[in-house]
Amino acid sequence: MKKDLISMEDLSIQEITDYLTAAVKVEAMPLNERVQFLPGRIMATLFFEPSTRTRLSFESAMHQLGGSVIGFAEQSATSVSKGESFTDTIHTVENYSDILVIRHPGEGTARLAAKESHLPVLNAGDGSNQHPSQTLLDLYTIQKDLGKIEGIKMAFIGDLKYSRTVHSLIRALMKLNVTDFTLVAPESLRLQKYFMSNDEPGKYQFKETDDIEEAIKNCDVLYMTRIQRERFPDLVEYEKVKDSYVLTASMLKEAKEHARVLHPLPRVREIAYDVDKTKHAGYFPQMKNGVIIRQAILLKHLGVQL
Amino acid sequence: MSNNNEMLLIPKIELGIVIDHIPAGQGPKILDIIFQYEEMKDVPVTLGLNYTSKKLGKKDLIKLQMDYLAPEIIQHISIMVPGVTVKAVKDYKVHSKVVVHPPKEIKNLLECKNPNCITNSEAHIGTLFTAIDDSAKQVKCYYCERIFALDELDVVIP
Ligand SMILES: [Zn+2]
Repeated sequence: MKKDLISMEDLSIQEITDYLTAAVKVEAMPLNERVQFLPGRIMATLFFEPSTRTRLSFESAMHQLGGSVIGFAEQSATSVSKGESFTDTIHTVENYSDILVIRHPGEGTARLAAKESHLPVLNAGDGSNQHPSQTLLDLYTIQKDLGKIEGIKMAFIGDLKYSRTVHSLIRALMKLNVTDFTLVAPESLRLQKYFMSNDEPGKYQFKETDDIEEAIKNCDVLYMTRIQRERFPDLVEYEKVKDSYVLTASMLKEAKEHARVLHPLPRVREIAYDVDKTKHAGYFPQMKNGVIIRQAILLKHLGVQL
Repeated sequence: MSNNNEMLLIPKIELGIVIDHIPAGQGPKILDIIFQYEEMKDVPVTLGLNYTSKKLGKKDLIKLQMDYLAPEIIQHISIMVPGVTVKAVKDYKVHSKVVVHPPKEIKNLLECKNPNCITNSEAHIGTLFTAIDDSAKQVKCYYCERIFALDELDVVIP
């Protein structure tokens, strides 16, 4: 049976742990060994909207495993721009490859592709719905940097309302017994209340605050996101808050010794460049971990046992 | 089985479908549902209102002179008026009888309200919702994973 990766909601705790364990094994392996895993296998990257970072990360992962890559990076380069349906595109491309990696602005497209195709499908982002490899790479980064996930203290700063990355990560962390969350967001970009309600009342703590310094002092991981101008109904409000959600090196003085700053990147201005040189900056290694976790994913979904 | 009162008003039928145990007042709603389907337009129908019922106090009842009610129509009824009994009658006898409850999966009936959902741009794939509680008051789109209250979604009949 083929195996797809569509949504974090589909994954059990065991399955999440399996990906992370596989990634540890992959990372420990020298490149000349990794390259022997997937010779002759072809990954198709179908990117109906541009996302350079995710696409390059998947492609790099596949190349390092000895496989090859075909695909397109935007819709205008395809027959879709001539009016071909999504399902027809899938049925065509599946003849050329062994696994499909799909990015599409429409929500539910990866699920649809998985239903239609006999090939394994990896969701690389469907609109504002899911982006499971991003969540897995965040989890892998936390696990690697802190040595554990369970019981850590998380702080999220920025756009917590619209950020798919944040939603997916919070849900996964809750599954993995992270119970302490501090949330710092402008009034109109706060996390929706239903995220904080669950079947186990009292287990989780969501502290909403405007005090970034306080959040920094207490957390093990500080997860930053972009605040996008276009999300604000009122630009006056944007102007008011845009500078109060910028992290600088001096703000990290009170941070715990081992505290890590993560960010899904690209950053705009929410992390000052002077943070890069601090021991807390974890966002570039995070990108490297993206390649590792995607290798673990590709191997698992192409049936390679580690 | 049917009580005297009921027999008097609506004679037993040789062959047909009986929708029973409809909460009083909901009968017309079910008729509305039935007649939305093209194939049902010419089916002879009897609607009975306000019968005495042991179970419900008062109930409505519908008899359809036909031998087969399509599953999608039963699905539709089960969602809008859950808990009714659908009986198939043959040679004056009840041949089969099911109490219909909202299904776990609702296929090709509801329209996803998320404009960005793929079911709205690739309409040929149909829709699929899964009930997230027993009464299907809350449903989740299989594709975009959004959760909706059932009564905020529009019904589309193919
Ligand atoms: Zn949907």
